Amino acid sequence: MNSTRSAPPSERALTPAAARTGLRSPGSISVRGLTQSFGDKVALAPLDLDIEPGGVIGLLGPNGSGKSTFMRLLVGLVPLQAGEIWVDGLRLEGDGVEIRQRTTYAPGELHLYGELRGRDQIAFLLRGRDRATRRRAEATAEGMGLPLDKRVRGYSHGMKRQLVFAAAMAPDVRIRILDEISEGLDPAKRSEVLDLIEADAKSGTTILLSSHHLGEVDRSCERLVFINAGKLIADETASSVSERAARIVRVTYPEGVNLDDVPRALGESVAESMRVEGRQLHVMLETDDPRAFLEALGANRSLPAPVAIEHGKLSLRELYRSLYGVEGT
Amino acid sequence: MIRGWKGYVVYGLGFLLVLEMMLAAAIYWWPSFAENIGKYKVIASPIPMLKQLVDQVDRGGVAGYVVGQHFFKGCATLGTAAAILFASGAVAGEAHRGTMELWLARPVSRLRLLTERYVLGLLAVIVPVFASSYTIPALLTRVDQTMQWSDLTRCSIHMAAFLGVVYSIAFLWSSLGSEPLRISFVMLFASILTFAIYMVETITNYSLYRIVDIEVFMEIVMRNRLDWRFVGPMLAISAVLYLLSLRAFQRRVP
Repeated sequence: MNSTRSAPPSERALTPAAARTGLRSPGSISVRGLTQSFGDKVALAPLDLDIEPGGVIGLLGPNGSGKSTFMRLLVGLVPLQAGEIWVDGLRLEGDGVEIRQRTTYAPGELHLYGELRGRDQIAFLLRGRDRATRRRAEATAEGMGLPLDKRVRGYSHGMKRQLVFAAAMAPDVRIRILDEISEGLDPAKRSEVLDLIEADAKSGTTILLSSHHLGEVDRSCERLVFINAGKLIADETASSVSERAARIVRVTYPEGVNLDDVPRALGESVAESMRVEGRQLHVMLETDDPRAFLEALGANRSLPAPVAIEHGKLSLRELYRSLYGVEGT
Repeated sequence: MIRGWKGYVVYGLGFLLVLEMMLAAAIYWWPSFAENIGKYKVIASPIPMLKQLVDQVDRGGVAGYVVGQHFFKGCATLGTAAAILFASGAVAGEAHRGTMELWLARPVSRLRLLTERYVLGLLAVIVPVFASSYTIPALLTRVDQTMQWSDLTRCSIHMAAFLGVVYSIAFLWSSLGSEPLRISFVMLFASILTFAIYMVETITNYSLYRIVDIEVFMEIVMRNRLDWRFVGPMLAISAVLYLLSLRAFQRRVP
């Protein structure tokens, strides 16, 4: 646990070192050399990441990749073993209570107190916040149609998730850390939740959102951070995804054509990599100029004629598959 | 698992009610007991420890009877059970239910969360001991007897210190573990075993219940002072156990 400094929050928030680095400013998240292991299992390899204030940042990765551990570390729920964490301009120290006062965190694992009524559960979740915050959470929950006078044990999984979401969105903070916040919600409720998240982000809040649902990440996130086996494997913005897309060509062939020999026939020199999937040839170019590849494709008359050629398109699903080698959901 | 101050109040009141009912029944039975003490001595004679207890009550008169019934029988045995049950779920209960993360994710320090639970649970155990003890003078007037408030206060402090140790052991285990039922069963079994050891004359001195038996309480009453040889170490042990619980809790991963 990091406990090397104990200056008061106001002082720590405004140290010259922090002020010099904009990424340690209010609304930002910055981690350096973050390392975490549980016994023999390494949950996070040394991880460096900076998140600027404002916007929705998607944290993606398969199960066990370290997303939840990373989020728990940010708010001090997991004692820090090595590295440095700055959240909202404040360095994480001790059990992180000062950071939890300046952020909200919604856990991914959903276990509520069934014997409590919805209203009491909100009060429990918002302990340490003011009454106005509680009222806002109740208003959000009621707006989502939750029966707050009913005991939580009678709630469905999705209703419980909405209750936690309502509580996480209520505090007036600059950073929200939401782990799998839309898991278990139906499409309509998921859309409602994403609308609220996007509106909040537009008002300047930084939202770190972990999700397995690529559709919602694609819709809401301006930046995507991919983690696998505790390591940062990609950090993409909308522009970097389009740069990546500019190197991708997809050639579609008619049904029944055998494409196994196509990559060999085209030759390795025309692209960085090629692979066949069903009726499609997926090509990753070395540059964003497809002309050399298209010339080679047109010049080789032994190949079957394609029915469609796409260039410059990359879905998040494909990006996920290219990074992890498995399908995202 | 008890959660929130209301829960502790309810359980504390329940414990008080049980203690009070046992105490009232015992005191109303005092005249009959005093009248037939000779017969009880004969009945108890085959079991040396039981005979010793009856002899101690006989020597102590109504005070010996009250400390035996209330502190040794009521508070020490039921109090041990209450201390174990109130403490075992304090942290382990959250882990068992999967609510630990939710409990810790709020902007409240772990020091505060743990101390609140520790203090509330401890109060739920020891306040009924004091509260029931202070009803003794009123109950004794029904059988034309009396006892000093100061003696009852000293006996209650001694008893509370003992229960504080039992509570703190269970609390430490709860801070480390995640199965409150296992903690309860093992500790209750250990306390029954300890009581069984007390009842065997040759090994009785190895039992923790020697610290809270009639002889010890009668010493407190007769000498008009606390026995700090017991109370001091018991308070120190509870404090150390609390600090160890805090240390374990600070390192705990939800």
